[in-house]
Amino acid sequence: MIRFKNVSKIYPPNVVGVEGVSLHVKPGEFVSIVGKSGTGKSTLAKLLFAEERPSRGKIEIGGWDITHISDRDISLLRRQIGVVFQDFKLLPKKTVYENVAFALQVAGERPRRIREVVPKVLEIVNLSNKSDRYPKQLSGGEQQRVAIGRALVHSPKILIADEPTGNLDTLNSREIMDLLTKINEFGTTVALVTHDRDMVNRIKRRVITLEEGKIVSDVEEGRYKL
Amino acid sequence: MLLLTLITINILLVMNVVTDRAISLVEDRVEVSVYFYNYTEDTTLSSAVAYLRGLSQVRNVETVSAQEAYEQFVVRHGDDEQIMSSLEELGENPFGPSLIVKAHTVEDFEVIINALDNPQFRDAIREKDFSDYQSIVERIRATSDRVRTFGVALAVVFLLIAILIVFNTVRMGIFIHREEIAIMRLVGASNWFIKAPFLLEMIFLSLIAVGITMVMVYPVVAFLEPQMSVYFGAESSGLVAYFTENGLLIFGGEFLALVLVTLFSTGLAMRKYLKV
Repeated sequence: MIRFKNVSKIYPPNVVGVEGVSLHVKPGEFVSIVGKSGTGKSTLAKLLFAEERPSRGKIEIGGWDITHISDRDISLLRRQIGVVFQDFKLLPKKTVYENVAFALQVAGERPRRIREVVPKVLEIVNLSNKSDRYPKQLSGGEQQRVAIGRALVHSPKILIADEPTGNLDTLNSREIMDLLTKINEFGTTVALVTHDRDMVNRIKRRVITLEEGKIVSDVEEGRYKL
Repeated sequence: MLLLTLITINILLVMNVVTDRAISLVEDRVEVSVYFYNYTEDTTLSSAVAYLRGLSQVRNVETVSAQEAYEQFVVRHGDDEQIMSSLEELGENPFGPSLIVKAHTVEDFEVIINALDNPQFRDAIREKDFSDYQSIVERIRATSDRVRTFGVALAVVFLLIAILIVFNTVRMGIFIHREEIAIMRLVGASNWFIKAPFLLEMIFLSLIAVGITMVMVYPVVAFLEPQMSVYFGAESSGLVAYFTENGLLIFGGEFLALVLVTLFSTGLAMRKYLKV
């Protein structure tokens, strides 16, 4: 599903983001990418959804070589990958329903399809009863669930979560992790970028550890060791 | 600024129409009155008429016989007893026949004047009367050219300012909506989906600018046309007719040109500030 072959990302003048990273994530897998701040976790996530291009190496997503993906194709890639961030990135002037529907609108989906899909997604993230609320009227955990709902609306094969619990308390973090696990059980490949030790240890899935931009360990049913 | 540019362009158009009309009216009046001695024989007069009609520069030759000249004089000065008594004292018709020669353009003037020096009838001509139409037309043209040059310069300045304002407006728009744009990119919006609102906004603004210009131009030319009768007399300056007949072409063309300019400026701003 995700394949990195000796990927490096060097920022000018000579700052290493990641270096010589090779990994393979199978379809339906749940993988946590962990490491201290500045070890290249977010760079790895950005390379996955083509926010950054690699300086060297090759990246394949579902067999699609995105190493030199064109600007035009990035939008197509992002409709097949769901992305969730620490700061939620919701539109404050849109309701929960509108925020989720927005991802379909920008892809040119017909209103009828949007009316069909959005309520189903809101049900998955357990926000059906808050669909007309605005982000500022929701808790952090609920806002993150809206963001996950928006990421799921295209039925992506891969969900990338970059520090999704970074702004949440323990209870909300567990809710979000449970939701990500549930999504993974439905068959979506999940790549979780985090430094939240408790959450990683709790789910007992594959853990890839980064240090100074390099993979230092890759363990099935691993734990956060740093 | 878009509006000011359009208004300047339309003022130039009005000037163009009025100048062309004025020159055309002056050229229409280009004529030479040729007065013959009263003893001139009809054959001499006929040969002069035939000769002049044969010139390509001559549009029309009108003959006024001695009798007609006398009658016209009587009509004109019938109320003036002193003149009429003087005329009676002469005992005979003192007027000779005359020709009114009309040219196509003021440039033909010189050729006609020289042609009247033909020895066949030169000695029968008592007087040639003409106004210096060429210098009038040249003065009209020189004035209108100066104003037009100034107008074009002004329109170009307005246009450049408009391009800068559009550029800055788009830049501000991108800055204000940067968060929304980032989210659009994140969820897979196409480049066109992100750029379209900026482009459509500028097309809409161009449409509004042209609409306001239309609403302003028609009443202004309708007001100006009767005011110009002082200069054009019974003739119309043709402003309203010009804008009515060519309205679609003028305002359609201005809209298209404005759209191209604003899209160019929007494109530059998006290329520089909108990384999609």
